[in-house]
Amino acid sequence: MTLTEDGQIVVSGLTKHYGKVKAVDDLSFAVRSGRVTGFLGPNGAGKTTTLRMILNLVTPTSGTATIGGQRYSDFPHPVRQVGAILEASAAHKGRTGRNHLRIMCAAAGLPLSRADEALELVGLTPAAKRKFRGYSLGMRQRLGIASAMLGDPKALILDEPANGLDPEGIRWMRDLLRKFAGEGRTVLVSSHLLSEMELLADDIVIIANGKLVKQGPVETIVNGISQAERVRVRTPDADKLAQALAGKATVTQENGVLLVTGIGAPAVGEAALRAGVVLHELVEERPDLEQVFLELTAGKAGIR
Amino acid sequence: MNLIRSELMKIRTTNVWWLFGIGVLVFTALSVTLWIFAGNQLIDDASSNAVFQPPPPEFEMSPEQLAEAQRQFELQHDISRVLSGAAAQIYTSGQFFGLLFVSLLGVILVTNEYYHQTATATFLTTPQRTKVILAKLGTASLAALIFWVGTTAISGIAGSIFFSSKGYSSQLGEWPVTRAVLMNGLAYGLWGILGVGLGVLIRNQIGAVITVAAGYLLGTYVVQIAAFLASQLFKSDWVQKASVIWPSVASEAMVSTEPIFSNPPPWWVGALILIGWGLVLGLVGTLITRKRDIA
Ligand SMILES: Nc1ncnc2c1ncn2[C@@H]1O[C@H](COP(=O)(O)OP(=O)(O)O)[C@@H](O)[C@H]1O
Ligand SMILES: [Mg+2]
Repeated sequence: MTLTEDGQIVVSGLTKHYGKVKAVDDLSFAVRSGRVTGFLGPNGAGKTTTLRMILNLVTPTSGTATIGGQRYSDFPHPVRQVGAILEASAAHKGRTGRNHLRIMCAAAGLPLSRADEALELVGLTPAAKRKFRGYSLGMRQRLGIASAMLGDPKALILDEPANGLDPEGIRWMRDLLRKFAGEGRTVLVSSHLLSEMELLADDIVIIANGKLVKQGPVETIVNGISQAERVRVRTPDADKLAQALAGKATVTQENGVLLVTGIGAPAVGEAALRAGVVLHELVEERPDLEQVFLELTAGKAGIR
Repeated sequence: MNLIRSELMKIRTTNVWWLFGIGVLVFTALSVTLWIFAGNQLIDDASSNAVFQPPPPEFEMSPEQLAEAQRQFELQHDISRVLSGAAAQIYTSGQFFGLLFVSLLGVILVTNEYYHQTATATFLTTPQRTKVILAKLGTASLAALIFWVGTTAISGIAGSIFFSSKGYSSQLGEWPVTRAVLMNGLAYGLWGILGVGLGVLIRNQIGAVITVAAGYLLGTYVVQIAAFLASQLFKSDWVQKASVIWPSVASEAMVSTEPIFSNPPPWWVGALILIGWGLVLGLVGTLITRKRDIA
């Protein structure tokens, strides 16, 4: 097995029914090591359910998920293979963060001193002996990361880790995950906000309604939609320009601003010159990830 | 082994264990005092030089009634029997509340995982769920045995002092007494297991604690009263004996040197029934935990 296959996560035909709700529906994708993979979908898309199935916390109705070729439940020392931070996961309110980690170390057969090292790693040492009850949201997330790091794992799985973090915390998390992937490990991070992933992810997997919508490197997915590129024009003679462009492009008007799709900015400029229209602004807008994301999952995000 | 260590740390790193520990010790001390007073009275009666006096003729007793009255009198004046009965009571003092606390400890060991959402961390660390639940069963009974050692130490010291002050041996060497003390330990261990099983069945912490406490405190009386009424109704004490099926009645039966009913279920019936409950609840708990989604 080569190094790159080592922590690869492979999901194949994964399905979970909750009564009539198909929370996850025949989902297949692969997550490569050495890269950060963003797992995206609107709320209720089935991200949490999928991650919990990968980690053997939820039993799939059908399908399998493996990490480095093995099912999670078959790892003799899972903490040394995979670290995870999940929603609806916490520590006992009356227990100190340090004791929470030491209990995990004991169960995993790790030396108890790993707890202190992990706390140091996430900068939680000053709060180590405080009770979990008094932790802020950011501190709780840091404790979660510390627990994921206990076994120095080959892969990290995180469910909406940015929730509740302040901008500084988000930047810190981003750097940590990038560094982790840089060391050749696998990182799978879910989010319902694509903007969070733009700066972080190398690859993305987009799901909606429990089904795969698209997967691939971030650039490929964005460029795949580049024909939807549009031009933004501001002019005092909006109607005149719209007439001039009629037939050549699709034009919509929005409080004095024209949005032109179908032709590029140079063509719009030429048309304006021929029509004798003054331009105050002429911008080519490339779709950002968020737009792509909304288009891809549009209408699929309804409450189920 | 790692898992039992981890589970023991879970108990030690929260407040429950010492709150429960204090509760159990206080109840044990109270009940030791009560049983010593009661035992004192019984022993004084038994060791008096009274002889059986047939009641005066106006009581109009049949020969059978008379024989029964004489038999009762002789039982109450059989000093070695009275001594071992009192000793068994004293040395198992606090059992009633001890078992309740121990089962609640087992309940909390499981329901905490859901209440505080630590089940995720626990099962991520050990995806082999059977191992986790076996560790919880083992830990709960181990913790229960520690409670048993503590309560037995208190009652052992107080009881020995009491017996020697009356000029008797501590009675701990008498088999029915030794047996009662050992059976008490078995009862503690099994109630820890019952608690874990019930915690799995009722995963809501408050619901589970209330159910167990009510089932234990009220259930015991309800079952005993119902069994008594039924036995009156059907003119058979078979129904009354059947109440030993209820776990708290079974554990009382286990430690008594004396019948708790007129025609007693022997101590080993109680023990077998409680072991049965432990096995069933432990097994059901394991099976449910293996299947359950942690979300
Ligand atoms: N334990 C459960 N019981 C019933 N339905 C559930 C359960 N967990 C999730 N669902 C449903 O499955 C769907 C996917 O949920 P989830 O995986 O949490 O989505 P996401 O994490 O993408 O927001 C939702 O419609 C949700 O209501
Ligand atoms: Mg979710």
